[in-house]
Amino acid sequence: MTVISRRTAGDSLVFRSAEGVRPVARRHPWWWIGGAVLVLLIASFIHLLVTNENMRWSVVASYLFDTEILSGLLTTIELTVLAMVIGLVLGVVIAIMRLSANPLFRTVSWLWLWFFRGVPPLVQLVFWFNLATLIPVLSIGIPFGPTFASWDTNTVITSFSAAILGLALTESAYAAEMIRAGIQAVSKGQTEAGLVVGMSQSQVLRRIVLPQALRIVIPPIGNDLISMLKFTSLVSVLATPDLLYSAQMIYSRNYQTIPLLLVATIWYLVLCTLLTLGQQQLERRLKAKRTTGTAVPTTKRLRFVPMGRA
Amino acid sequence: MTQPHRQATETPVMPLLRVDKVNKHFGHNHVLRDVSLDVYCGQVQCVIGPSGSGKSTLLRCINWLEVPDGGYVYLDGQPVGYRWKGDALHEMKPAQLAVQRRRMGMVFQGFHLFPHKQVIENVTEGPIVVNGTDRDQAREEAMALLAKVGLAEKAEAYPEQLSGGQQQRVAIARSLAMKPDLMLFDEPTSALDPELVGDVLDVMRDLATDGMTMVVVTHEMAFAREVADQVVFMDEGCCVESGTPEELFGSPAEQRTRSFLARVQ
Repeated sequence: MTVISRRTAGDSLVFRSAEGVRPVARRHPWWWIGGAVLVLLIASFIHLLVTNENMRWSVVASYLFDTEILSGLLTTIELTVLAMVIGLVLGVVIAIMRLSANPLFRTVSWLWLWFFRGVPPLVQLVFWFNLATLIPVLSIGIPFGPTFASWDTNTVITSFSAAILGLALTESAYAAEMIRAGIQAVSKGQTEAGLVVGMSQSQVLRRIVLPQALRIVIPPIGNDLISMLKFTSLVSVLATPDLLYSAQMIYSRNYQTIPLLLVATIWYLVLCTLLTLGQQQLERRLKAKRTTGTAVPTTKRLRFVPMGRA
Repeated sequence: MTQPHRQATETPVMPLLRVDKVNKHFGHNHVLRDVSLDVYCGQVQCVIGPSGSGKSTLLRCINWLEVPDGGYVYLDGQPVGYRWKGDALHEMKPAQLAVQRRRMGMVFQGFHLFPHKQVIENVTEGPIVVNGTDRDQAREEAMALLAKVGLAEKAEAYPEQLSGGQQQRVAIARSLAMKPDLMLFDEPTSALDPELVGDVLDVMRDLATDGMTMVVVTHEMAFAREVADQVVFMDEGCCVESGTPEELFGSPAEQRTRSFLARVQ
C-alpha cells in the first residue's frame, strides 16, 4: 500500500500562532571553541617571533631601509615589471598564433610553449647568461642573407638582460595559455556580431574579443605577477643585485643571516600585499563599470571607467 | 508607402538579394539543399519552418558567416564572397568581404551586444571603427536610432542592465547604424520572455513600413502573416514552397507545409 501522508495520530492538531514571539537565534558553541584554539596558536607563534633572540629585530630594523637593500628592492621591481610586460605582450602574440587557422603558426607556437614551459627558469637564466659561448656575435639581418648590424654578445647579455630574457620567455608561455583560454571563453557570437557590422578580423580581435578576454584573465595574470615577483629571486645566481642578493651580500659580510633574510621577507611580503590590493582594486573597478545602476548620474559614473577613458 | 516596392515582384527588375541553389554540409549532414530565393528592394521575406530545417544556416550563408559549399549568393547582382576578374571568379580578401557585409545588417537570436561597452558605444562602434565617422556625429546618429527603438534613456547603460527585449532593440539599432541595404533577422524574438516579444516586433514592423528590405527567420506566424510580402517554408534543408502570406497560410500546396502550419497554429 502506498503511503500518501506521513502524518500520524500523535501529531498535534492544534494550530499555534507564532505571531509576536521573538525566535531565539541558534547558538554556535564550536565557533568559540575552534576560535579559541586558533587564537592560542597564533599567540604562541607571535610570542616566538618576538621573544626569540636569534631573530634580532634590532638588526632587522637597522637594515630595513639600508640603501643597498633599497636599491636591491628597486632592481626586483624593475625585473618584475619588465619581465611581466614583455612576457604578456609575447603571450598575446603566441596565444593568437595558437588559435590561428594557419597550421605553421599553430605548430611554432606549440613548440614555443613546449620549450619554455618545459625548461626550468633557473636553467634558462644560466643558459642565457652564457649565450656568448654559443653565439659570440648577435646580428640583425636577413637569415642566410646580409646583416645590417651586429653586436658582441657579451656586451648585450648582462646579468640583468639575461634575467629578463629567462623570466619573460617563461612567463610568455604561461601567459599565452591563460590568454588563449580567455579568448576562447569569449563567445563566438561576439566575433560574429563584430564581423556583421563590417569589422575586419583584426578589428574584432582588438576591439571586441581581447578587451573581454583580458578581463577574464585578470585574476590568473595577477596570480602570475605575484609569482613572478618571487621568481625574480632566482637572479641571485647570476649575481644580479636584486633584493635577495643584496641581503645575501650583507650577511656574507656580517654573518647576520636570519635578520637579513627577514628583511628580504618583509619587503617581499610588502610588495606582494600591494600587488594583491592592486589586483582587487582593478577587478572591482571593472566590475563597477558594468554593474553600476543607471540611476547613478553620468558624471559620477564615468569616474569608474578605467584606464583614463573618462 | 511600401506599395511601389511591392510591385517590384511583378516587374522584371534585378533582385537586391538572390540566393541561387545554395548548398551547405556540416560533415555528413546536408543542411541546405539547392535553396534559392529572390528578395527585391523594400520587400519583407519571412522564412518559417521546423527547427533544424536550415533556416538559420541559410541566413548565415547569405552574409558568409558560413561559407556555402555550393551555389552563389548575389547582392545587387554581385556574388557575395567572390569577385569577377575578367571571366574568372576569385575568392575575396577578408577586407572586401567586410565591405559587402556592411551592407547587410544582422540581428541574432542571442543579441550578442558587446558587454564591455555602453549601449550608445555598441551603436557607434561600427560607424566609428569601420566607417571612420566622426565621434560626435556618430553619437548623434546613434541617439536618433536609440530614440527610434524607444531606448534613448538607456544610452549610458551597459547591456547586462537591460532586459532581453531592450537588448534586442539595441542590437537592431546597432545594425541600422551601418545604414544597411538589407537586414537579416535570425529568430530575433525566440530568446525573449513572451511579454517582451511585442516591443521587438513593433520595431521590426516600423522598419518594414519605412521600406527596409528584410529577411526574417521567425516562429511568429502572426507577424509573418501581417508584415511579410513573401513567406518561404523550409523543411529538411529544402525550400518547400513560397508565396504571399495569403497563399502560404491560406491555401498551402504542399502536405509538409500544411502539417507544419497545423502544428504551430
